[in-house]
This record gives sequence, C-alpha cells and structure tokens, in this order.
Amino acid sequence: MRKIFAAIVLATLTIGFVGAPASAQENISPAEHKRLFREGAQLWPVYCNTCHNARPGSEKAPYEWDLIIMHMRTLGNLPAGDVRALVEYLKAR
Amino acid sequence: MPGRRIFSIFLLAFGLVALSLVGLARAADSDGSAADLKEIKSEMRQLREERKRDREVIHSLEIKVQQLETKDSKVETTTQQLHATDQKLKETTVELQQTNAQVQTLQTKVDAPIAASEFGDAISRYLGTHSFTVAGAAGGSFNYDQQSGALDGVSHVSQNSFFFDWEPMFLYRPTDWIMFEGVISTAFGSTGTGADLSTADFQIFLNDYMTVVAGLFDQPFGDWYESQSPMWVNRFVTAPLPFGAEAVVPGGEIGVQLRGGMQFGALGQDVDYTVWGGNGPNFSSNVLGAAVSSPTAVANSQTNGKSIGARFRIYPLPVDSQMGRLELGASTYNGKWANGNWFNSWGVDFNYFIGNLQARGEWMESYRQMPEGMGSDNRQGWYVQAGYFLNDLNVPGFPDKLNGYLHRFEPLVRYSGVNQRAVSTDDIAGATGVGQGGFQTGLVPDFGINGSPATYAPHAREVALALDYWITPSIVWQNEFDLELPQNGGAFVSPSGAVTPAGPIPNDRAFLSQFTIGF
Repeated sequence: MRKIFAAIVLATLTIGFVGAPASAQENISPAEHKRLFREGAQLWPVYCNTCHNARPGSEKAPYEWDLIIMHMRTLGNLPAGDVRALVEYLKAR
Repeated sequence: MPGRRIFSIFLLAFGLVALSLVGLARAADSDGSAADLKEIKSEMRQLREERKRDREVIHSLEIKVQQLETKDSKVETTTQQLHATDQKLKETTVELQQTNAQVQTLQTKVDAPIAASEFGDAISRYLGTHSFTVAGAAGGSFNYDQQSGALDGVSHVSQNSFFFDWEPMFLYRPTDWIMFEGVISTAFGSTGTGADLSTADFQIFLNDYMTVVAGLFDQPFGDWYESQSPMWVNRFVTAPLPFGAEAVVPGGEIGVQLRGGMQFGALGQDVDYTVWGGNGPNFSSNVLGAAVSSPTAVANSQTNGKSIGARFRIYPLPVDSQMGRLELGASTYNGKWANGNWFNSWGVDFNYFIGNLQARGEWMESYRQMPEGMGSDNRQGWYVQAGYFLNDLNVPGFPDKLNGYLHRFEPLVRYSGVNQRAVSTDDIAGATGVGQGGFQTGLVPDFGINGSPATYAPHAREVALALDYWITPSIVWQNEFDLELPQNGGAFVSPSGAVTPAGPIPNDRAFLSQFTIGF
C-alpha cells in the first residue's frame, strides 16, 4: 500500500512539473473571444445541468466566476479548454 | 614838378590829418573805455545770470530726462510684465482648452455606457490579484416522521421538528492555478447548534489534464458525495439510502487526489479520471454492521491502513447530437481499517438528461474483512431517480399566470435500497455519535434526515416522492413524502457482538418540507 501511495505521489509530481501551469491567462484575440463565447454558450446548459440547474452569469461578478469555475473544473473534471469557454460566456452575461 | 609838390603836400596834409584823427580817436577811446567796461561787466553779469539760468534749466531738464528715463524703464518693465502676463494668459488659455477637451472626453465616456468587460476588468484591478468569495447554501426544514415501527427494543415516538442548516463554502484564489476551498456545515439540528468542517482542501492545477487536490474532501466515489449532496443541488430533501443511515462507503477522506478530464471526440464527448489516496476507512465500532464514519467524525487511532481509490467517467454523446447528455461511471475505494483488515468497494453510476427530463442512479457494493474470525461485513446499495420539469406544460384554459406557476414545478420519484448482513444497535440508538459528520444519529430526524427506524433495517427500501417548486435556478421549496418499505432479512448486533435476527420491520411514512437557497 505504501509503495502504491508513494508511486502515485511521485508520478503526480513528475508529470505535473513537466506540464505548464494550467490556467495561465493568455492574451487572446477578439476572434478567439467570440469563438470561446459561442462554445461556452453551447456548453453552459449541458455541463451545468449535468449536476444542477444552470445558473445565469449575471448572478455573480466576473471575478467570482474565476473562482467558481475553478471549483467546478475540479469537481466536474471539466476539460480545460471547455472551462475557458464557459468562463468567457459566464463573464459576458 | 609842381605836381609832385602838390602831391607831396597833399600827402603830407593827409598824413597830418590822419595823425590828428588818430589822436582824436585815442582821446575819445580813453573816455569810452570806462563806459565800455561797465557795459562789458554788465553784459558779463547778464551772461553769468543767463548761464546760471541755463544751468538751472539744463539741470531741470536733466532731472526731467532722468525722470523720463526712469519712467521709460518702468514702462519697459511694465511692458515686459504685460508681455509675460500675456504669454501666461495664452498658455492658460491653451491649458483651459485642453482641460475642456479632457472634460468633454470624460463627459462623453461618462455618458456612454461602459462595456461589461471593461467594468469587470476595472473591478478586478480594484480587488487585486488575490480573490475571495463565498458560495454555499442555507436551508430551513420541517420534518415529520410517523415512526410506526419498533426496532429491537429501541424506544421511539412520533417525531416532528424544525431544523436549519447553513453551509458556507469559502473560495480563495491566490493565482490562476492555485485555489483553496473550505466548507463549514453549521446547523441547528437534533443535537443542538453545532458546526463541522465538511471539506477543506488545496487545488493545484498542474496543467490542462491534471489537478492535485490535497486536504479533507468528499469521497470521489460515484456522484453523490461530491456533486449531489449540496442541499440546493439534491432534488430531494433526503439522501438516498446508500448514502444515509447505512452508508455503504465512507463519505469523506483526508488525503491527496489527482484528477482531470479531456475531450476525446466532438464537443461534449469527454472522459475524466480521479485517483486518490488517504487515511483510509473508519467505522463506529468493530462489530458487524457498524456505521462508516467520516474522517472528522470519530477520533480513531486505528488509521495505519491508508486507502486508494479511483473513478472513471465517460460522456459519449456530443453536444451537437441533440441526444442529451449521458454519463457512465465506475468507482472503487479500497483500504485497510483497524490496522490490517481490508475494506473493498466498487460501484457504477449513470446520469442522463435531455430537455426537461433528468434521471440518475448508482449501484455499489462493499466488503469489510472482520477481525477475530467473524464473517465478512458485506453491504450493497442502490438508487435510481427521475424528475421532469413542467417548463413546457400549458394547461388549456388556465390563465398565463397560473401556467407560469406550473412551469416552476418539478415532480420527482426515487427508489433506493440497502442490503447488509447486520446493523449495529449502538448506531440505531445514536450512541456512537456518528451523525456529527452529516449522517443519521439515532431515531431522530435531523436536517435532511427523516429519522425513521425503518431506514436502519438491514434490508431497507424507500420510495421517495417529491415536488420541487423552483423560484430561481438555485432557490427551491422542496416537499418530499417518504414511504419506508423495509424487507425481511439481516440481523441486529449488540455492542458485545450478540447477533439477533431482524425479523419483520413495519413500514413507515415521513414528510419533509424544506426551503433552500444556493448562493
């Protein structure tokens, strides 16, 4: 058991440090903004309703969505690209 | 020669006359010199006076010239000052024009509606790079349970009471790849007012496919504990039986997770994984049927076993297919308890929704190796539920307003059950205090718990009917009617280990009404 646990921790650290920080905000073009918004509009009713009623973006301030979407990304294991689209959509509403 | 004589005589006479005239002239001169001298003196005086006057005039003129020069200098200075003032005035005029232009620009900006993104960015700058918010839920409920059946000599009476629960979730985000999350459960429940730490963990987003979660977390086994247990998310007031009084798998863990998800096909076609290790399972006692306990509920020194778990889920339907969203998942959680005895569990789950219809279900099984040659402690549990929003229901003849109210209703039904070899009577009596972690304590209702004795039956069954009224997507008034329909079989175990067959257990009924706000 200890060996398995140690192996998990070691693998996590190794693979994790190889990868780049996940959610680093990049400067994206207006066209990319639009693409993310459209994709977010498609995903919002699907991903959110999988577990609970989809809540409108107007309920929270944009900075709050940054936190809540991180919480939901972890809880729902949402793909990172889809998370960027969702937060773009939620912040714009 | 007479001519020469005449000429000489004439010349001589002329000479004599001339000399006489000179003598006369000299005499006259000596008489006029005094007068002339006076006159000259007088003239000289006049000249001196005139000179004096001229000097005075010159002096006066010089003074005037000096005065004029002084005045001229002053005029020149004044002129320069005027010039400088004029220059400043021009500069001030330019500045004023620029200020006016800026004011005009600002006025235009003020008058023009600010873009939401710009406003958001401004607020974000104001708030700083470290952000913090509070989410969570609060709810108040009234629970009634008929408690129509007895259980192995445990006394009981009909129960009804009000409860309140507040579960704030604190989110702190120091960077865009690290977050801290903590949930505190505070309640006025059957054991009085109390607070409990539900979850507290760090989340580190290593890359697009890997997130590390470290701390105290809900068990990532199936869907219930993690995603369905929040009161505003759960469509029912109560938990399904496998997650209630006789939980099949522990509800929480302290340890480390690695998790992530990725798209494998079209948009919406995803797979995800969660693997974790932790302190391992705990139980209220070493007898058969002892309740599982959360890591924070029971201080147990028997924690050397540790645990590992894994869950995989797949979402095969693309968003564009218009076929709804389907989730299929499988989980396992294994570890050692009591410093050496194995606990193994596994389960499968599904979730499907399309339009106004949503259905989900889980099936799970656990095996607990018992000490001292006792038979193994096996448990099974399941639930399946479905709900339908009446969004599109328009009753002919009903006013629009009434139809509008109807649209907010969601009727639901759920069937759940548990099979286990035995149940510990200590847990039924509430002696173990396991309920502090969110599980049932004894035969009393609590927030989200109906407290029915029938839920402690080794082969418990429950049909729950609910009618939710959604005021907003996260504010709901829920009403639930529970039919407890326990099956025969199984046994009760005393703290000493004595086993008594359960025998027939009466059916029971309960009603719960709860108002919940998710925030």
